[in-house]
Amino acid sequence: MSDKEKSIMAEVERQYGNYGVRTRELCAEGAKAIGYICSFVPLEFITAAGCIPFRIRGDIREPITRGDSLLETIVCPFVRSCFDLCVKDRYDFLSGIVIPHGCDSMVRSYSVWSYSLNFPYFHFVNTPTVVKESSHEFFKEELRSYQKSLEDFTGKAITAEDLQKAVRLHNDNRLKTKALYEFRKADPPLVSAAELHKILTVGASLPVAEANALLDEVLAELGRRTEAPVKKGPRILLDGACVDHSAIADIVAESGGEVVVDTTCMGTRDLWPLADEDGDPVASLARRYLDRLNCPKTYRENTTGTFAGDAEARFGDIGARAKEFTVNGAILYLYKYCDPFGFEVPARKAYYESLDIPLLCLEDTYSAGTVGQLKTRIQAFLEMIG
Amino acid sequence: MTKAVILGEGIAASVIGPTGAEQRRLANKVMEEALARAGLAFEAIAYVVATGYGRINVPFADRQITEITCHARGIHFLFPEARTVIDVGGQDSKAIRIDSRGRPHHFIMNDKCAAGSGRFIEIIADTMNIPLDAVGDLSLQSTSPATISSVCTIWAQQEVASGLAEGIPVPDLLAGVHHSLADRISRMALRLRLEKPVVLTGGGCKNRGLIAALEEYLGCELLIPENPLITGALGAALMGRDIVEKARQNNLPLETRPRVLEAIHLLG
Amino acid sequence: MTEEKKEKKPHKRMTATRAAASIGPMVKEFIAGTNRARKEGTHKLAYTFIVCHHEEILRAMDVLPVWTENFAGVCGAKRDAERFLQRAESLGLSRSLCTYALCGIGYDQWREELGETPPDAPWGGQARPDFMIETGQILCDPRSKWYQASQQFMPDIPIYNIDLPYPLFQRDRDHREVLGYYHRYIVKELRGLIAFLEKQTGRKMNYDRLSELVDLSDRIWNLVHETYELRRAKPSPMGTGDAMNTMVPMNFMMATQECYNFFSDLKKELEEKIARGEGEVEEEKYRLMWGGGLPAWYALNDFNYFNGKGASFPVETTYRMVMPLDEMDLPRTNDPVEHLAWRWLGYWTFWYDKARRRPGSEPDVERLINWVEDYDIDGIVVHQAFSCRTWHVGLIWQLNQLAKIYKPIPVLMIGTAGQKEKTNREVPSLILESDIIDITSYSEIDTRNKIDAFIETLESVRANRAA
Repeated sequence: MSDKEKSIMAEVERQYGNYGVRTRELCAEGAKAIGYICSFVPLEFITAAGCIPFRIRGDIREPITRGDSLLETIVCPFVRSCFDLCVKDRYDFLSGIVIPHGCDSMVRSYSVWSYSLNFPYFHFVNTPTVVKESSHEFFKEELRSYQKSLEDFTGKAITAEDLQKAVRLHNDNRLKTKALYEFRKADPPLVSAAELHKILTVGASLPVAEANALLDEVLAELGRRTEAPVKKGPRILLDGACVDHSAIADIVAESGGEVVVDTTCMGTRDLWPLADEDGDPVASLARRYLDRLNCPKTYRENTTGTFAGDAEARFGDIGARAKEFTVNGAILYLYKYCDPFGFEVPARKAYYESLDIPLLCLEDTYSAGTVGQLKTRIQAFLEMIG
Repeated sequence: MTKAVILGEGIAASVIGPTGAEQRRLANKVMEEALARAGLAFEAIAYVVATGYGRINVPFADRQITEITCHARGIHFLFPEARTVIDVGGQDSKAIRIDSRGRPHHFIMNDKCAAGSGRFIEIIADTMNIPLDAVGDLSLQSTSPATISSVCTIWAQQEVASGLAEGIPVPDLLAGVHHSLADRISRMALRLRLEKPVVLTGGGCKNRGLIAALEEYLGCELLIPENPLITGALGAALMGRDIVEKARQNNLPLETRPRVLEAIHLLG
Repeated sequence: MTEEKKEKKPHKRMTATRAAASIGPMVKEFIAGTNRARKEGTHKLAYTFIVCHHEEILRAMDVLPVWTENFAGVCGAKRDAERFLQRAESLGLSRSLCTYALCGIGYDQWREELGETPPDAPWGGQARPDFMIETGQILCDPRSKWYQASQQFMPDIPIYNIDLPYPLFQRDRDHREVLGYYHRYIVKELRGLIAFLEKQTGRKMNYDRLSELVDLSDRIWNLVHETYELRRAKPSPMGTGDAMNTMVPMNFMMATQECYNFFSDLKKELEEKIARGEGEVEEEKYRLMWGGGLPAWYALNDFNYFNGKGASFPVETTYRMVMPLDEMDLPRTNDPVEHLAWRWLGYWTFWYDKARRRPGSEPDVERLINWVEDYDIDGIVVHQAFSCRTWHVGLIWQLNQLAKIYKPIPVLMIGTAGQKEKTNREVPSLILESDIIDITSYSEIDTRNKIDAFIETLESVRANRAA
């Protein structure tokens, strides 16, 4: 690695190891950071309000303790971990939290979050479940309520120009991330899953303009790379919800494979869909967050009358990623108690079968303690397809 | 348990040793004993494959392969027509669908909870003060199996204790316990949609009561290997032989670890 | 016969009212009725969920609802859900998901694979529908994913998904600011449902009939409320055990004359019992509230166990799906669909104003406080069903918050100075844990131990009660 490369990757490593360190600094200087869980939270409004959108993460190494005295254990373990860390003041520099209508675990625990934590700002964005003309109409109004709540909080109006600027910045962020992924198309990939995970994680903790600058530097360095950091091996697609840690990718790498693409929330689900930059920004954001984001929580009507047609409409993006990145197998990694994904397992399985992509289904509890069990399954899977 | 199998033309030696926390020491021990029984020097071993939970703690292993792949290979060797393998061990249980070449194509494991493994019966036998090797046959004497929880070992213990106090005959309680384990294992296995013939392996094979209960819950006959405790190790040895042969055919060098059994020093 | 077989089958549960005892045959008849309709082709059948505010629309168009949650509950109560749950698991579904849905999907896949009703299906089984009506709601993910999962095995059956949101309680916001656009959306969704049904049945909606049915259900709402309010009496004439039966007409027969008649009869029966001083329990020692959670359908006998200890259940939050309309302040409208949408929003935001006025309160907590006072409650019992996040997430927090902000019981305690001091304590509560229909999660010994311990707590609180 060149010295320059060492320094940008070292910076990523530093911020990853102390998640939120930069934003904490900025808040000490007077900036306001608003935390969020879930890809459905419209970040552009937070940026347009002059605040920093900060992605709240869990920690698989931290046993959930204080959170459990307030939140049932039948809640998604990722949500519980995030809540537990908030209760333990891991994110005490935040000024508020936004939670969307993502899933029952979030929705039904909203009161618990908003009453137990001492932030001055809490807001719930009621994303519709279905995608119809009327849903877009409703969602635009709901987003205007959200905008107003931010204006009330900051004491400043958010203009259409502010929003348009934020739309462009966040689109830029997504395009740069897509460019990062391009390096994974090579065989073997020029950027490892572990590195990419750290870069994306750090990116989600920064004000979007700073994240974009970071990505520019990373892209420049990767462009200079001649040697792949990993060996050739089975190429894996990681499918699932909020996988905010690299345990699975690490185990795959240890077992001689490599995760080359994902369809998870901290990855392409979040970062692929763009918002239209022309026209009314609220309408454009309504379209992006309601329709372009592809998550099981959104009900997609089956207009074809067949299962194959339905599967293609719901999961087509998985097939497209699998093809673009020439994968040899896929891992569907779900948390226990996840209803939106849990109900889709048979349909997803059938879809992968239709594409002849071997699939390993893992159900986990979000804890470093299960790594041994995951290792056996992942290694056995790679032995099977290898 | 810790096991070793040395494979030559046939099985040159097989050893079953105890399990425990000092996995590296136990691995060394069974290796030494196997070599002694086979009358071989360590240098004579062409390749060593380690499998099972402790596979990362076998310092002299040339390769680590999961027990899924190894059990599949071992059972295929013993029963070439087998298409499903169910392994009931002391700590976990698993079901594997295998193809005509003995390669696994689907598997499912239960390694999260004592209630799904041989440990379940061990604990209950202990509670009732009955030797583990007697419980299976005793359970077969039941005429009316009691209903015992299949979800939680602690509950099952409570229910057995309560049953004893109420005067429910011991064979009935034991039959209930065996049914619970069989229920749990068959639920796991049925998620794979079984294909016959089905082979049962692992320590669970030593228990005739469990075999009978499993056949009932799975709705099919179970084939049983003569030496159920070593099928994983056997499979590992077969995988090792495959690797050696492939290297010879392709004229490629084989990377192996030094044939030394290092002394393990305990700290403190 | 499935009815008589295993020793596993629970003893027939004792009910406090004749009305509640009449429910079994009623449910059996719905299920039999839908099977007959399927066979004879007399009606279109729709898989659907309760609490979707669409019964009036369905009945106005003569569509017969097939209540899939009900069928799963019946399987659970008959302790015959396990084979369907296992079937669902064999498809790849996790046991941690809503067990009603697992039961339903397992059943549907089996029925489709066989091409006929699975063997010995409870009460003739669940009929194959003509279409399925899901509901996005904000309440419950399975309501949006369940039929979609079943559709994999029945791709010819279309689905209409009614999104039915309501504004979540936010302390710093008056919900009236947003009700307008919520209302507009719900109205469009309901009109969309009508259009879907018109297409599927080939008939046009009769809006006069719809208005009549909406009016009928309004009257039923008020009647149910008045009837249940009678349970404030001491001793309370009817308990939650019975209410788990009487929820049937309220949720499965809304907008029918039979439902109205049922509650009229129940009201009369309760009035008679009160006149005779007859309670759910002979010697009522403790009055308990079922503060949340769906019941363990295979263990309704536990209510009799509570009764045996002198505990009655005058009130429950579960399945109390109606609130008095005249306390809702709904905008007037002649349009039945608009009225339905206002009523939906009125129900879900019923406690918001009161909650905002009490520091630290929240709508569910506010409801608990109000009913503790209205029904003179000594203790609260909640049930955590592991597979249902919808009704069970937040119960621990509610009890915690309730204990924080509401301490109505004066007790005498030994203070630090060694003298008797008067202090106020919170209402005692008990959390039971198992599931709605997965009986493997339930331990009778464990549950009854917990109940015994709770009764002892209630005794001790009473013994220490200050004047």
